[in-house]
Formats: sequence, structure tokens, C-alpha cells
Amino acid sequence: MRRMILQAALGCAFALAAAPAYAASVECSSLSGDAVLSARTPQVDLYDAPNGKRLKSLDDDKFPKCLAVTQRAPNMMLQVTIDGAAVWVPPHMVNYRLAGKKPAICRNLAMGGNNATVGATRALGEDCPQKKATP
Amino acid sequence: MTSSDPSRTRGRVARFWERVRRPNREHVEKLKERVPFWFVALVLFGFALLQIVLNPFGFSDLTQRYTQDISNLLITGPYLYPATGRGQVTVAVVDEATLHDLQMPWPWNYSAHARALDALLAYKPKAVVVDFLFVDSRPDDSLSELVEEIARYKKAGVPLYFEGGIDLPFGEAPLRPELARTGVPILDPSIETYDGVVRQYPSSGRCFGRAGLAPGQCLSLAPQVYKDIYPAHPLEPLNGEIELVWGTRTAPFNVTYNSRTSPLPCNDDTSFWLRIYRAFFDKKTAVGRCPYNNYVPVEALMAGGYDDDLPNLIPGHIVFYGGALQGAQDKSFSPVNGNQPNVFVHAMALDNLITFEGRPEQNVMTLFGTIFSNEPAQVLAIVPIILILSFLHMRRIRARRRRSARKERSAVVEWFLDKGVENLWHWLAFFLALGVGLLLARLVGLSVANWVEDVFISVELAAMLLIGVPDSFWGYLHHVAGGRPDGITKEAAS
Repeated sequence: MRRMILQAALGCAFALAAAPAYAASVECSSLSGDAVLSARTPQVDLYDAPNGKRLKSLDDDKFPKCLAVTQRAPNMMLQVTIDGAAVWVPPHMVNYRLAGKKPAICRNLAMGGNNATVGATRALGEDCPQKKATP
Repeated sequence: MTSSDPSRTRGRVARFWERVRRPNREHVEKLKERVPFWFVALVLFGFALLQIVLNPFGFSDLTQRYTQDISNLLITGPYLYPATGRGQVTVAVVDEATLHDLQMPWPWNYSAHARALDALLAYKPKAVVVDFLFVDSRPDDSLSELVEEIARYKKAGVPLYFEGGIDLPFGEAPLRPELARTGVPILDPSIETYDGVVRQYPSSGRCFGRAGLAPGQCLSLAPQVYKDIYPAHPLEPLNGEIELVWGTRTAPFNVTYNSRTSPLPCNDDTSFWLRIYRAFFDKKTAVGRCPYNNYVPVEALMAGGYDDDLPNLIPGHIVFYGGALQGAQDKSFSPVNGNQPNVFVHAMALDNLITFEGRPEQNVMTLFGTIFSNEPAQVLAIVPIILILSFLHMRRIRARRRRSARKERSAVVEWFLDKGVENLWHWLAFFLALGVGLLLARLVGLSVANWVEDVFISVELAAMLLIGVPDSFWGYLHHVAGGRPDGITKEAAS
């Protein structure tokens, strides 16, 4: 009896712990492929391009759920369509689902023992945005 | 005054000069035995003072710093330094791989920094310190996004710190005025290097306000962050430099993360004795390769919430947001990790403050309300050692005198006895100094680097006493001044 109670308690705990993950996975099941499920942060910023300008911020309750990702940028920004307009959202601001394998982020941290140091200065500024000429 | 006075004086001076040039060896040897306690102590004190204050050939500095490194590598780092701070500090790094993988060449625009900071905020850190300087007035429309990000941090109640530029040649604002006007705290990012290696950390720095540089002195970066975030353990008054204790037990996350792809491990696990050998004879192989504090690539943050590690590394942590970029000239050597980005220096300083609960090791000590800097502290510390050694030396002289009155031992016994006493003497000096040093470290927080020289000097003093330097000196001076051994008449002496 005692064992059964323990097993039931464990089962409940597991079900509670797994509930959000389960909800997220069943959510937007009508969408195949990559999808933005919902907002993750209190506000979601919308951009005009992967490295572009912020267009506006939507509060999490106003951010639509279940959006198909139409494009993924190398900087991980996700393109979705909101109110008929294609916009880019930063992935950290949304809960999303990737159909394929998630990109692995690896690092070789064992570099500090190297006693060599760079004898040159990085040429900062090659990618500075240029001021637009006024007409 | 009589007419014979000048000739008598001349005669006295001539004898004096003769004794200076050609002292009577036998007399000097006998006078040696009458050396008083105060003279022995004075000679030792003078010798110690010479070494501590004048730093001949840079010997003091080199000894201190080398010993500090060895102590970090062999004792304090692996055994004594707890991992308290390590579990509370994380460094989010924009590195070369971040730039490559995100295809975002350096420098980033303000929008990219705002996104990275926002990605950090999503994990609810305890505080964030931005280790990038925003000095230049770049024509970039996305500046407003960074300004807005600062407002988001305020709204979320997460302290955010920026750093101010120092020694700017053309009077630029330490932080772009648009950012400074938000009222975000601006801290002095200075660090201290000695021969390119970071062992100390400043306790005070410049003050910055909304209008730029402000008059007066403020706390430096790590102490200010500690003071704001850890009021439960108040920061003790800092009067000198903080002596950094570099941890060697690399964050477990870094070890695991590195082992996934790197052919080199973070640390070479070796036996205790091999590690000692390497620390002394092949230091390069003894140092670690990975940073001590948690290392999080910024792209992992920007990728969003599917990372399993980040929930253990960011929430409730103080996060430094900095760069590890080639050619950006923002790297220094640490005694235990080789070359690494300076953001890890700030992280280590904060780690020290957290671990020592606001009482970091310093290069000064405070006794009865008086602050003693490094050198006076060492002089004070060596005084009791000198007094004890001098006292024992006097006892030894008396015992030798008594022994010589008795029958003589064999040469072999004498040799072993001398060797034994010699060894004992050196070890005694060594442990005396070590004991005083450890007491200072324990009671008044004086760093190893600032008392370890006393250990070396004590052994030198013991060696001086063994060969009888103060005794010989006394014998010679006494003889030159006209002193006579017992039983020698004035006529016989002259």
C-alpha cells in the first residue's frame, strides 16, 4: 500500500513537471515545420530584417500564438508573418519549435594556457553603418 | 692643553687607522664573543630593512609575485579557495565563434547589444555588468534600442552596470551621453597589471555621473557591484589594492562543456608531487587552460530558451557581458590560467569579494585603526622574528662558551652537531616567519605576497647568525674602537 502511494505520488510529480513540455508540444500541432508557439518575455520585439531596425514591441498577451517560421537567419532571428506583414523576431523572446536538429553551440575553452598574444590591433569599424546621405 | 697633545692625538688616530686596516685577528675573535643582544638585533633589523625597503635588484617584488603565483597554483587555488563565488558569477562572452556562427562581424551595432542584454534579462540574472565601452558617437539609429533596454532592466528590477572610458585623449564622454542620461550606473573598469600579469585589483577608481567624469574617488568595478548586491555581508573599508586569489578549480560547467569538442582538457590532472615539480620547473604546463568562472557564449543566449545549461548558469547569478575578441587588446595573463580576456579579471575580483564575504586579501593591514602599507607591515612582521632569533643566538653563544670550557668532542660528532644545529636553525626561522605570516593573513587579511618575503629574509637572517655576521661585525667594530679582550692589557693591545 505504502509503495503504491509512493508510486502514485511520483507519477503525479512527473506529470506536473512534464505538463508544460507536453502542452508546448501539442500546441500548434496543426503547424508542421518550424513554428513560433508563443511569447516568452513580457514584450516581443519585431524587426524589419535579421540585423535590421526594431519596428515595434508587442506585449506578450497581444503576441499571436502558433506562427509558422518562414525563414531562419544565420543570427538565429526567426521570420514570421504577423497581420500580413513579414517580420523578424529574436528567438530568445519567443517559445519556438524547430523541426530539424537544433544547432549545436560548441566551444574550445582550453585556450588560456597559450602564452602567445596578438601583436596587432583589430581594425574596428569595417562594418559601421554609414550615415544615409540627406537628399 | 699641553704641547704634547697634538702628537698624542696623532698617535691615537694612527693606531685607530692601523686597527681599521689591519685588525688583530685574535682580538677580534675574542671580542666577538662579547656581542650584546641589542647589537645582534640591530644588525639583523638593518639587513631586513635594507631588503624590504630598498628592494635591491627588484628582489623583493620578484620574490613576492613569484611566490604569490606558486601559492595560487599549489596551495590557495586548489585547496584553500572555496568555490562560493564561482557558483554565483557567470561571464557571457562575445567571442570569435559567436561572430562566425551568427555571421555578425565586429563591431556590433547597438541593436545587437540590446538583443544580447535582453536575452540575458529573460533568464532573470541577479545583476549584469556590461564590459564593453560605448565611447564613440557612432551614427547608429539603433541606439534608442539600447536606451530602451536599460529601461527594461530598471522595470524588471535587475541592476545593470556600464563601464566608463578612462584616459580618453580628446575629452570624449566616458559613456555616450544618450546612455549616461538614463542614469545607468557607470563604473571604472581599470585593472592592475605587473609585468603583464594580473595579480592585484584596484579598490578605488574614478567617479562617473550622468554628465561624465565626476570629481572624487569611488569604488572600482567589482567592489561597487559587490557593495550593491550583497548588503548582508558589508564590504570592509578597502585602503590598498585587492590581492587577487585566482581559483584553480575550474567551473564544472566549463570542464564538461570544453570536453565535448576540445582536444585539450581544461586542466592536466596530475599527482600532487608532479604538480609541484611543474609549478617550479615548468610552470607553463601547470597552469589551467580554461577560465575559472562559468563561460557562456552569447549565441547560446540569443538562441533562446531551449538550452539545458543556461537555467543553471544565469538565473540568480551576477553576469558579466564581455568580449573575447582577437586583436581587441583586452586580454591579460593570469598566474593560473595564462592569457585570458580581461572580463574574467573583473569576474575573479567579484568572485574573491563574494567568497571572502567582503573582506578580500589586501596589500595593506589595519591595526588598531592605523593602516600599514606593504613595507611597514613586513617590517613590523619581521621584528618579533628578529627578537626571537637574536635571543636564541645569544643563548647559543653562551652555550658554546660553556661547551668550550668542558672537554672537546670528536671532530665527527662536532660536524654532525653543527650540521644538525644549522638545519634546525634554518627551519626554525622558516616556521617562525611562516607562522607570523599566517597569523597576519588570518587576523588582518594581509595577502601572502605581502609577507612571504619575510620568510625568505628570516632564513637569510638565520644563515647570517650561523656564520656569525653580527658577532664578527661587533668584534671588528669593538676592536677598531679600541676594545680589548679580557686579560689583555692596554700596552699589549697597542
